[in-house]
Amino acid sequence: MEFFIKKENEKKREYDALVIGAGPAGLTAAIYIARGRFSVLVFEKVIPGGLAATTHLIENYPGFPEGVEGEELGRLMEKQARNLGVEFAMEEVVDVELEGEKKRVKTRDGEYEGKAVVIATGSSHKKLGVPGEDKFTGKGVSYCATCDAPFYKDKKIAVVGCGNSGMQEGLYLLRFVRSIDFIEYFPYIPADRILQERVKKHENVKFHLNHQVLEIVGDERVEGVRVKKRDTGEEKVIEVDGVFIFAGLSPNTAFLNGKMELEDGYVVTDEFMRTSIPGVFACGDVRKKVLRQVATAVGDGAVCGASVVEYLEGR
Amino acid sequence: MALLRDEDREYLKKEFEKKIRNPVKVLFFEKEGCENCDLVKQILTEVSELHPEIHLSIHDVESDEAKTHGIELTPAVVIEGEKDYGIRFYGVPAGYEFNSLIEGIMDVGAGEVELSEETRKKLGELDKPVVIKVFVTTGCPYCPGAVRLAHMFAFVNDRIKGEMIEANSFPELANRYGVYAVPKVIINEEHSFEGSLPESEFLKEVIKAVGG
Ligand SMILES: Cc1cc2nc3c(=O)[nH]c(=O)nc-3n(C[C@H](O)[C@H](O)[C@H](O)COP(=O)(O)OP(=O)(O)OC[C@H]3O[C@@H](n4cnc5c(N)ncnc54)[C@H](O)[C@@H]3O)c2cc1C
Repeated sequence: MEFFIKKENEKKREYDALVIGAGPAGLTAAIYIARGRFSVLVFEKVIPGGLAATTHLIENYPGFPEGVEGEELGRLMEKQARNLGVEFAMEEVVDVELEGEKKRVKTRDGEYEGKAVVIATGSSHKKLGVPGEDKFTGKGVSYCATCDAPFYKDKKIAVVGCGNSGMQEGLYLLRFVRSIDFIEYFPYIPADRILQERVKKHENVKFHLNHQVLEIVGDERVEGVRVKKRDTGEEKVIEVDGVFIFAGLSPNTAFLNGKMELEDGYVVTDEFMRTSIPGVFACGDVRKKVLRQVATAVGDGAVCGASVVEYLEGR
Repeated sequence: MALLRDEDREYLKKEFEKKIRNPVKVLFFEKEGCENCDLVKQILTEVSELHPEIHLSIHDVESDEAKTHGIELTPAVVIEGEKDYGIRFYGVPAGYEFNSLIEGIMDVGAGEVELSEETRKKLGELDKPVVIKVFVTTGCPYCPGAVRLAHMFAFVNDRIKGEMIEANSFPELANRYGVYAVPKVIINEEHSFEGSLPESEFLKEVIKAVGG
């Protein structure tokens, strides 16, 4: 059993570096910056650990042969950062001023100044954008397995998206539910083979590959998912009590309010994690890149932290 | 075996030392055969040992104390100071909800909460009773934000009650209120919304619910 504590610390108004987002990318960048002996404040609106913290088990991050709970990994990364003197502001960033030598970051509670800014806000689950999705959010549509799994004990559910997150969370959900219908847009399962094998060992799972979700149907609550087979156009309703959606992510960049060039909503950087604005860096899932994982977020964070140190040292 | 980590214990001791200025009464309500009561009792015992001004008392759900506090379910926790602010926890305040428990204790101990002037003013104007139920699970990182607002609102206006309800301990209740995703907030039984909202939006929902 875990006992989570949101740790507070004294805050100044000015720092060498301001890091927005305390996921694996932001925490790693902060660790590198702090080791360069620069002051750093990390903003976080939910909890340190980021999206990884809502993942029940991370099995592909090296160093944890038995896998590690997302929450635990987040807690350890946070602790490492705090040990180095990294400070935290548990506040949501709502606006930024990035041009010039002094950058400003605004939260609902105040305003902070920094010489360098790191954008590490990651991404959130994307909605499917189909009819019924909004109407049934909280009434059978869910995006967080660790939050909502207990409400589906012995129920039939569908999981939309057979990527790594869909399959990993599916495995967790299988501890609670009666059965899972997995729905995947592509004609194959995109998740790692090892995950596929483990899911397929369960007798109460079924796959609907090459199927597009058309609508989430029901009266008061979710009663099913209407899907279409993409090659034949054949439609059917899969009857379920709930739908968990793990189909794609959308970057958390709304707070930039158009003050930075984005591509499909993602921040564009060079290989040093520099953005088009001097002194502004980005790392992790929020960045335009090919693989969005904890290991790559941490890799980005390291490069980013080193670049920030270089920038602050005036090199 | 202790539930809390040593490092967390140390952190909490220091924080409590800094923040707690007034006595904090933690009332725990139990009944025989209640599934999670022993667990909650142990959590509260460990927390109350971290500061001399945190006073834990244990009551039966049939006791007078339970009646005056309107407690009918177990496990239940009330955090109060010089008066009962209406801060309630039903179920197990562990996982991410442990933080809500800690912050509730610190608010009462400090005798103040961090809400904007605007929010205080508008809450002060509410003259009808309000009960804010926040359904949560312990694995939900978005939930403590909603619980915290409900408790802070309760703190500033005596007509408001803020209740955390950990859904796993009360499946029937969750079912009755149609909870399938958390956080789910229910205001005065009628008005409800899902998801965690910032202070000003949460306030609007409360005002809407009482017909303001
Ligand atoms: C269900 C699921 C399962 C996954 N499983 C795995 C796995 O098994 N292995 C693996 O390697 N990866 C996995 N991933 C991917 C992994 O979680 C991400 O790649 C990783 O967390 C990215 O790290 P990040 O630091 O870039 O962003 P995030 O972890 O998303 O962190 C960003 C942080 O910024 C905060 N934030 C956002 N906006 C603001 C703002 N305006 N102000 C303040 N704070 C803000 C967010 O709250 C968040 O904490 C999974 C993802 C999901 C969704």
